[in-house]
Amino acid sequence: MQLTRLNRGVQPALAAATASLLANCGAHAEDEAENAFVDSGLLFYQESDRVRAIEPNLNFNYDFGGGELLSLGFVADSVTGATPLGAVAAPVKQTFIRPISVKSNSSTQTVTSASGGATVVTIPPPPGSPAATIVAASTTVGANRLPLDQGFNDTRYAGTLGWVEPITPDLKLSLGGAYSSEQDYRSLSGNLGLAQDFNAHNTTVSLGVNYENDRSSPIGGTPTPFASMSGSWKNGNRSKDEINALVGLTQVMSRRWLTSFNYSYAWSNGYQTDPYKLVSVVDGTTGLPGDYLYENRPDKRRKQSVFWENRIHLPSDVVDVSMRYYWDDWSLRSFTIEGRYRFVFDGYYAEPLVRWYRQEAASFFRYYLVQSQALPQYASADTRLGNFDATTAGVKFGLQLDKSSELNLRVAYYLQQGDNHPAGAVGQLKNQNLFPDLDAVSVVVGYSFAF
Amino acid sequence: MRRRFTAMASPCEVLVDTDDRAHGLAIAAIAEAEARRVETKFTRYANSPLSRLNAAAGTAVTVDTEMAELLDFAACCHALSDGRFDVTSGVLRRAWRFDGSDRIADPLLIAALLPLVGWEKLTWRRPVLTLRPGMELDFGGIGKEYAVDRALVLAARAAGAPLLVNLGGDLRASGPRAGGTPWQVAIADVDDTAARAGRLALACGALATSGDAHRYVERGGRRYGHLLDPRTGWPIDCAPRAVTVAAASCLEAGLLAKLALLAGADAERFLAAEGLRAWCLR
Repeated sequence: MQLTRLNRGVQPALAAATASLLANCGAHAEDEAENAFVDSGLLFYQESDRVRAIEPNLNFNYDFGGGELLSLGFVADSVTGATPLGAVAAPVKQTFIRPISVKSNSSTQTVTSASGGATVVTIPPPPGSPAATIVAASTTVGANRLPLDQGFNDTRYAGTLGWVEPITPDLKLSLGGAYSSEQDYRSLSGNLGLAQDFNAHNTTVSLGVNYENDRSSPIGGTPTPFASMSGSWKNGNRSKDEINALVGLTQVMSRRWLTSFNYSYAWSNGYQTDPYKLVSVVDGTTGLPGDYLYENRPDKRRKQSVFWENRIHLPSDVVDVSMRYYWDDWSLRSFTIEGRYRFVFDGYYAEPLVRWYRQEAASFFRYYLVQSQALPQYASADTRLGNFDATTAGVKFGLQLDKSSELNLRVAYYLQQGDNHPAGAVGQLKNQNLFPDLDAVSVVVGYSFAF
Repeated sequence: MRRRFTAMASPCEVLVDTDDRAHGLAIAAIAEAEARRVETKFTRYANSPLSRLNAAAGTAVTVDTEMAELLDFAACCHALSDGRFDVTSGVLRRAWRFDGSDRIADPLLIAALLPLVGWEKLTWRRPVLTLRPGMELDFGGIGKEYAVDRALVLAARAAGAPLLVNLGGDLRASGPRAGGTPWQVAIADVDDTAARAGRLALACGALATSGDAHRYVERGGRRYGHLLDPRTGWPIDCAPRAVTVAAASCLEAGLLAKLALLAGADAERFLAAEGLRAWCLR
């Protein structure tokens, strides 16, 4: 008698199947189960002295029964404030300029007004030149202050659409698409996924591919990489394509323990430079800025990541621990570890969260360039590509209002710390904080309900 | 407060531990109504939704959510039992009559019925079911346990008092009785319905019994129990006469008891390996 499977223990799988069968108890006799689910939220995000964002979002899911599932999502966000220009601080005033309008004999293009303390400067072309008059916003940053772009203001709208279709009871096909648009950026993507259950739904293997096309149409045009900062209008939009593939495995280890693992590979080709970011070119002895160049990043990038998550259901509480390791061919590496613990009480829960992130810089990250040295192939002073550690601590509270609705509040504090005084700083840069700490607070109020 | 009724051809009772008789009766009525609803829907007889589904064998039928969930559950049980628990095995009853006589089945008839048995022979693409012509579904192996669980959960939701639902010996309690004392449950003797083989205390959870106490044929000193192996069409060899299992829900208890019977000579080993509170009668 073959008893191999029986001897491994059938109870966890049987208990799960029974729980699933009895989950809708009460629904069949009188009415069908709720099959529409709405999740809404409002995010407030504030960095000290920098960016502020407000982001309302709305997600709608509808279960057609039989495993067919429709999902729709909508997000709007409004971001204002100051972002670092990439240039380093100096013990002198520094002036930065960006185009805001172009006038030629035939047409006038104006994209934004000067704001955030900037002044409008008009530079007429030399007499007899066919060149256009330059109309630019000029910002002056005080001595020993981090150069910031004060006039940052953008609104983004994004929508997602998804469909899940069961092919067999154990095989699900998912299709989706997303669109996102803001003044100077547009992103379009489509995805296809398959999830196959094995072993009485205790094992799920999933495969997914995503294609994304992004178009960057910077305010004032796309600068030539490594060209000097100027107020003249540049031409052209740029685009980028990215293909992402993902393989995942989810395994029910026991009645209380769920583990999942996934690996993702992404390949992108196209414009990946930040058109607004500068790199200071400093004197090799004094460290004083002599020029500001537009940054330059490679066109191609191969990104890989592995992710492992464990969720453990204690008799009432839930523990979730996840880890992620990321690496790419820009030599950027990062490691994330996150832990959440949900204390479940009668009618409400509290869930503290701690996340720790460490990043190793991209190979072409430079705090600044030095005048006398040869220009590298690529360079960016965007600290998001630099070395830093980031810690997030937060808590989420959820209140069950009735059987099918929940109100929740999430509060989190984020602290990013890089190398303030990197070794080998030149001249006056020894005295500057080249990677100021960044901290931010986010608050999300959410409401979800089923009907 | 005790309410007795007959459903699923078995004596049933609902016990509600309360002094408020009217409230107790109302709670018991909820449990009884649910037991009858499940019976009406899943009986093979009359013009039940299940019988209509069986009558439509050969064509694709879209089933309702509850039927779909039971089919998913049946698929899971089939996988967990390596094919030994199969809701399509009911047609084998045409070959076997477990009436205590010495008539064993005609091997030719079994061979003719086997093509109609086997979960893998039907097509289940939730919510669409296609049975082969002649195939039949029979929720006999899980229907009563499902009715106990549903009746208990629905009644317990309305009750402010501990209760126990017992449908023909498969039972489940919502929790200990008032004052924390457990319910006293009798296990019937396999050979004599009136006699009691034992008593046991049940604070909460479920008990289910599977066995062939009264349904067997005996030939040449060999007893053939009513539990058939759907893969061969013949009764399981050396199966215990009855197995009672305690578990969180009646569905789990019932399935585990059946899996133990299906394990035949290995029943006790299976129960021990699963670490179950169980009683095996040989």
